[in-house]
Amino acid sequence: MLRYLIRRFMIMIPTLFFTSAIIFTVINLSPTDYFSNYVAELQAQGEKADMSRVEFLKREYGFDKPPVERYFLWVGGLLHGDYGYSFEYQLPVKDVVGDRLYLTILVSFSTILFTWLIAFPIGIYSATHQYSWADYGLTTLGLLGLAIPHFLLALLFMYFANVWFGLSIGGLMDPQYLNASMSWGKVRSVLAHVWIPVLIIGTAGTGAMIRTVRANLLEELQKQYVTTARAKGLHPFRILIKYPLRLAMNFFISDIGSILPSVVSGAELVAIVLSLQTTGPLLIHALQTQDMYLAGSFLMFLATLTIVGVLISDIALAFLDPRIRLQGGAR
Amino acid sequence: MKRLVALALLLLAGLTGAAAAAIETPFFAERVATGKLPAIDQRLPEQPRVLDMQSMGRIPGKPGGTWRMLMGDQRDLRMVTLYSYARLVVFDEKLQLVPDILESFEDQDDKVFTFHLRKGHKWSDGQPFTAEDFRYYWEDVALNPKLSPTGPNVALLANGQKPKFEIIDPETIRFTWDTPNPAFLPSLAASQPVYIFMPAHYLKQFNPRYAGKDDLAKKIKDAHVKDWSALHERMSRQYRPENPELPTLEPWRNTTPPPADFFVFERNPFYHRVDENGRQLPYIDKIAMMLGTTNLIPAKVASGEADLQARYINFEDYTFLKHAEQANNYQVELWQQGYGARAALMPNLNAADPIWRKILRDVRFRRALSLGINRRDINRVLFFGLARESGNTVLPESPLYKQSYADAYTNYDPAEANRLLDLVGLDKRDGEGFRLLPDGRRADIVIETAENDTVDTDILELVGDDFAKLGIRIFNHPSQRDAFRQRIFSGQVIMSMAEGLDNAVPTEKFEPDALAPSAESQFQWSRWGLYFESGGSQGEAVDMPEPQHLLDLLHDWRHSTSDAQRKTIWDEMLSINADQVYTIGIVNGTQQPVVVDGNMRNVPKSALFSFEPGSFFGIYMPDTFWYDVKSE
Repeated sequence: MLRYLIRRFMIMIPTLFFTSAIIFTVINLSPTDYFSNYVAELQAQGEKADMSRVEFLKREYGFDKPPVERYFLWVGGLLHGDYGYSFEYQLPVKDVVGDRLYLTILVSFSTILFTWLIAFPIGIYSATHQYSWADYGLTTLGLLGLAIPHFLLALLFMYFANVWFGLSIGGLMDPQYLNASMSWGKVRSVLAHVWIPVLIIGTAGTGAMIRTVRANLLEELQKQYVTTARAKGLHPFRILIKYPLRLAMNFFISDIGSILPSVVSGAELVAIVLSLQTTGPLLIHALQTQDMYLAGSFLMFLATLTIVGVLISDIALAFLDPRIRLQGGAR
Repeated sequence: MKRLVALALLLLAGLTGAAAAAIETPFFAERVATGKLPAIDQRLPEQPRVLDMQSMGRIPGKPGGTWRMLMGDQRDLRMVTLYSYARLVVFDEKLQLVPDILESFEDQDDKVFTFHLRKGHKWSDGQPFTAEDFRYYWEDVALNPKLSPTGPNVALLANGQKPKFEIIDPETIRFTWDTPNPAFLPSLAASQPVYIFMPAHYLKQFNPRYAGKDDLAKKIKDAHVKDWSALHERMSRQYRPENPELPTLEPWRNTTPPPADFFVFERNPFYHRVDENGRQLPYIDKIAMMLGTTNLIPAKVASGEADLQARYINFEDYTFLKHAEQANNYQVELWQQGYGARAALMPNLNAADPIWRKILRDVRFRRALSLGINRRDINRVLFFGLARESGNTVLPESPLYKQSYADAYTNYDPAEANRLLDLVGLDKRDGEGFRLLPDGRRADIVIETAENDTVDTDILELVGDDFAKLGIRIFNHPSQRDAFRQRIFSGQVIMSMAEGLDNAVPTEKFEPDALAPSAESQFQWSRWGLYFESGGSQGEAVDMPEPQHLLDLLHDWRHSTSDAQRKTIWDEMLSINADQVYTIGIVNGTQQPVVVDGNMRNVPKSALFSFEPGSFFGIYMPDTFWYDVKSE
């Protein structure tokens, strides 16, 4: 087990190194850069870009140096926790991401909880009552949620939330709380708004999870040990909880790898449509304006989380399921 | 004579200003009472700028309220600077230059400019605004090779020469050039002005010439910047007011440090304008700027989340906005957009393809395309007939307008267009009836546009039908704005479509640079423009007589000494542009919806909405807008 862990850790280093190289190369492949983009946007409105200021900024951010040198400057910075500078905000990337990270984590965690709370009972019910009317009905509902595009649902929700409940369109709180420090009013305002993104992002995840829980559970329920347990007169609920459900959970644990980065990045598309103050719109905007260090460092952060997430789920699986353990004692 | 009258008027204005005693603003009453702020008499300059609302056709108002606006990202902070439009000198609604921050100015033959500051004028932090602030900018910023690596701003150079800068006394300064610099004053009054002053008392702490070494080193370290010049540059941005600590002379000052999604601006207690009753402007206490997804802005505006908004809403949102007018107590006005053309085809005279380049440079080809567009239908189908069918030229609101410029080659005449196309060597056709280039390729034109503006796509759809009748097929290729420009700059693009003249209501005092190949961002001749911009080190030299003549005329304007001479130059440049059809304008005078809160007063019902001149709302002085609500 220890050797396995060490090996996994060793593999992480070259993986991250290659990821960073790919991210940097792709961002630099574009024939344009942040500065030409900036000038283009200004001139589109008839404004003149102060070229001496652009020259000044280029020099300050080392754009006069060759890309290879810039890459090592960036990676070197990442190693000491310096994520570089955002050109757009003229601030360290760390400060730009700042508060948005907390809101993103809030939205994502609520969404994940929502998904689990809804999907698990329905999935279990569907599996145990296969081909019943309720199974069909709930499955249809789940698939509907999966099939309707997020952004469309977001637009509809936003419109009706405004018309029926008078909530301000988009955003995660009423405007007056945006710069305010934490207060009960602010918390209430956030709670009043957060359910919309949670519901929207959650619907698709719920549909998918219902189906997975149902399929995994059905497979287990048809196995002979279940039949045996039933024949021996064990209570159906106890049978369900004791073995099939536990085994059906494997997929769920291996899913942690993809949950971790999504907790931080949030659902970008919905966040843009709803104008949420989360990290998703920030990342997309940084990519659009070619704010390369902000985009690059953020992507690197997500990549790291994915790799760590996969590691965690592998370890957890190895602990939970003896069949997966690689160097288990019993052969 | 004119100057004398102006002086007399100024004196008169000064006298009336002295007559009305200044009234304290309720917003500051508490701060004044607790001694945190001096009383109104000490805050105003001795001679404030008095705006006589009655004579302007406005209603004198009362202070209070918050102006909520919706914006896209942090760069839009500059909109407050634009909307505020407080400059050393400003254009009034008749586009005449009048002193604003300055008490008065004298201009001798456009060579010697003497500026008189207002005695007792203070920055928003209460420190005096004096000649020292101009000296600091000129000596410590403009002439500092670290802060200005390419030297002072071009507006401060006449014929490449720097001015002589003198301080006559703390309230008087003088700039002297050997040759005329007619672009100097308009550049100070521009929407995006050339700042020739900076708050010296604040910025000296970031300048090693004045600051203590250890102190500065600590500040550099805390701000995570490389050196003092980076710190100074960041702290001194006046156009994009990101730094809440930077003192300002504008009506509102930013109070929110970035990054944020919600910026609050507060009224400047030392602002220099008052109304005829002695009330300090602005009337509106605060600006609340909310940032978010721009596509959502029309919907948010319709739900009553903005008080005065035009940015990010378009003509196609008009009916939708109008629908919720009653429910959310606002009015939608239609202002006129100030472009020379809402959309203009720009044949690239510097196209890399030699065959195409030869054809595009033939004036008959450009005239044929212009004659082949049915502008009337486009106007009716896409703009409800509210736009004006015109070439890309100045608008009727400009004193330089002539009907002949707007009408040149804009009548719909497909027969004549076909005749001209036959003459330029496109007389051969393929089996489907489409014209062939001299080398046998089909004369298909890919028209490139920036972003996916749906109106552009719709216009091109209709233009495509018209051009099919000329035997030419067109294809629209939208791309991201930056990539679009790079393709034009490298000559890969044969023809593009974009907005026409940015400033279509000029007077002869504005520089006619948009009419001659003088900038890379002019899509019809970007490589010539680059050549001019770079002083001949990049791009291509102009090799056609008419564009060269336009450049000579621009040169003449820069050395001109009288308004009459400038007007002659403008006339000639406009008529050359109209006759040569370098850009094929389709419609102009299109409508810009402006949403105004039902209680907001003094906002014009209809006006011109343009970046230059006018600073969007700026020229109509939003500091005179106010809320007509019962006081609480």
